[in-house]
Amino acid sequence: MLTSPSLGRHAQRTLRHQGLLNVAQRRGLAAPASGSFQYQTGDSNGVKFASRDLAGPTTTLGLVSRAGTRYQPFPGLTEGLERFAFRTTDRRSTLRITREIELLGAEQYTEHTRESLIIGAKFLRDDLPYFVELFAEIATQTQYPGYLFHEEIESIIEMSKKKHLADTAAMALNSAHALAFHRGLGAPLTPASNVPVNKYLSSESIHEFSRDAYSKANLAIVANGAEHGELTKWVNEFFSDAALPQGTPLKSEQSKYHGGEERISHASPKNSVVLAFPGSSSYTGGFYKPEVAVLTTLLGGQTSIKWSPGFSLLSKATANFPTANVQTKSAIYSDAGLLYVLITGSSGDVAGAANEAVKAIKGIAEGGQIGQELFAKAKALAKFRELEHGQNIKAGIQLTGAGLTQQGKPYQLDETAKAIDGVTEGQVKKAAKEILDYKASVSAVGDLHVLPFADELGLKV
Amino acid sequence: MSKPSLAPFIRARPWLRRWVQPIADWYVNSCGYRQVGLLSDDLIPEESDTVQKALKRLPPKEAYDRVFRLRRAFQLSLQHTILPKEEWTTTAQDRPYLSQLIEDIERENKERQELDAMVPNKK
Repeated sequence: MLTSPSLGRHAQRTLRHQGLLNVAQRRGLAAPASGSFQYQTGDSNGVKFASRDLAGPTTTLGLVSRAGTRYQPFPGLTEGLERFAFRTTDRRSTLRITREIELLGAEQYTEHTRESLIIGAKFLRDDLPYFVELFAEIATQTQYPGYLFHEEIESIIEMSKKKHLADTAAMALNSAHALAFHRGLGAPLTPASNVPVNKYLSSESIHEFSRDAYSKANLAIVANGAEHGELTKWVNEFFSDAALPQGTPLKSEQSKYHGGEERISHASPKNSVVLAFPGSSSYTGGFYKPEVAVLTTLLGGQTSIKWSPGFSLLSKATANFPTANVQTKSAIYSDAGLLYVLITGSSGDVAGAANEAVKAIKGIAEGGQIGQELFAKAKALAKFRELEHGQNIKAGIQLTGAGLTQQGKPYQLDETAKAIDGVTEGQVKKAAKEILDYKASVSAVGDLHVLPFADELGLKV
Repeated sequence: MSKPSLAPFIRARPWLRRWVQPIADWYVNSCGYRQVGLLSDDLIPEESDTVQKALKRLPPKEAYDRVFRLRRAFQLSLQHTILPKEEWTTTAQDRPYLSQLIEDIERENKERQELDAMVPNKK
């Protein structure tokens, strides 16, 4: 006779098992599309702003300007302008701004990408007017005295240069961008030498650039966790005065893919190789290819679950090279994109992994069977990545701000997620074939004796 | 570096200024620094962190001119002579090129001190 507890346990187990199966069967790929990424947008005398009211007691506010490295007229200006944010304005000193932010329990951050410059703050919901006012002050009243540049900014830029030169992965990525796009998107994110500081950067040139960067045509304000009415009111109050110039949009030529090879000798034990190919632009950029996102996760290299190398082709193919860290990313810009495989680690392993990576891409391109299940996994992960990235607050601010300043509307996340749903295996194979038709952008940083040349890997450069 | 001064008080009252100005001019001219081509701000003692910082903030041209004036004055002092009269500093040339910077730095320091001693009150 069965005892009741064991029966109960058995029954529970069975039930749970069935339940799991049911969930697995029911789970469609198109499940999440809640619309919660949708920002409400507004326009106050030419100043664009967007907000989404996430429930919660804190707000993240960002001032996003088009002034990324792509749009800087001279090298280093974006970096310089970023360092001038939250510094002395006509009304308050650096110290006072810092202490006030501290007293409100808030946090400030600045960052720049290739296409935008972001000044941000996270704070308690009630402090929204204070920060909108502060951002308006930063945009219109920051002082750019020469001594401040020499006393503080110069040394910070020097440090960021040193940090950049010590990081082989960042160097390889910058070099791959330069090879792929030459000017514009190819401009390095961080100055890699003293030339910008010595030749192009001064408080006057940064001040000049700030007038373009902080003008109505080039900036947007994005809030997460703020009520749209509130934001509208305060933006109207603080940004509507005539101090903010109308400006003209910062320009950069349509990106064109070139490709090539660069090898940089570096003493770091962490060697880096970047294999880059033309990728997908943003949804509104005219060169949008959702299959690139799926190809990215299919190649992968990083696992998303514990205790397993993951399903992706590269993590399986490079399992024999334990120190090699492989990741595939699709860098998406407004009018172009770069699909790259970044491999870091000891020189021998990096060389081996690079070989395997090229073999994997060629395998897909030459019509090898991907497999139904593997393809489904890659597609699901691509969609998850896309949606998760948009849900992330900081990334959301950056994407929305960039969308507003560049296309005049926020980033269309739901559409991209839908587009990924429609990708077929054939499209991915075709995309892999197409990227191999172009010249690759191959950059190797580290021990050049061991790191392979592009033609040794079998890539066309 | 900035000392208590009656000047703003006097400048605000034209009748008083009219009365004091001739005495002030006589006093400044008799100090002797104008005869060796210096400006009044060249006389500020520079052995303090504040003034050192202010000197670093001078625009390159100002810094160069200052060094030139000081070296010329040393040379004249060594030779026990003064400049020919047409090279003396005039009232128009004798502008406060350094005081403003010193005041800015003092204000910064004062603000730092005040903020460091600040007691935030909970509303």
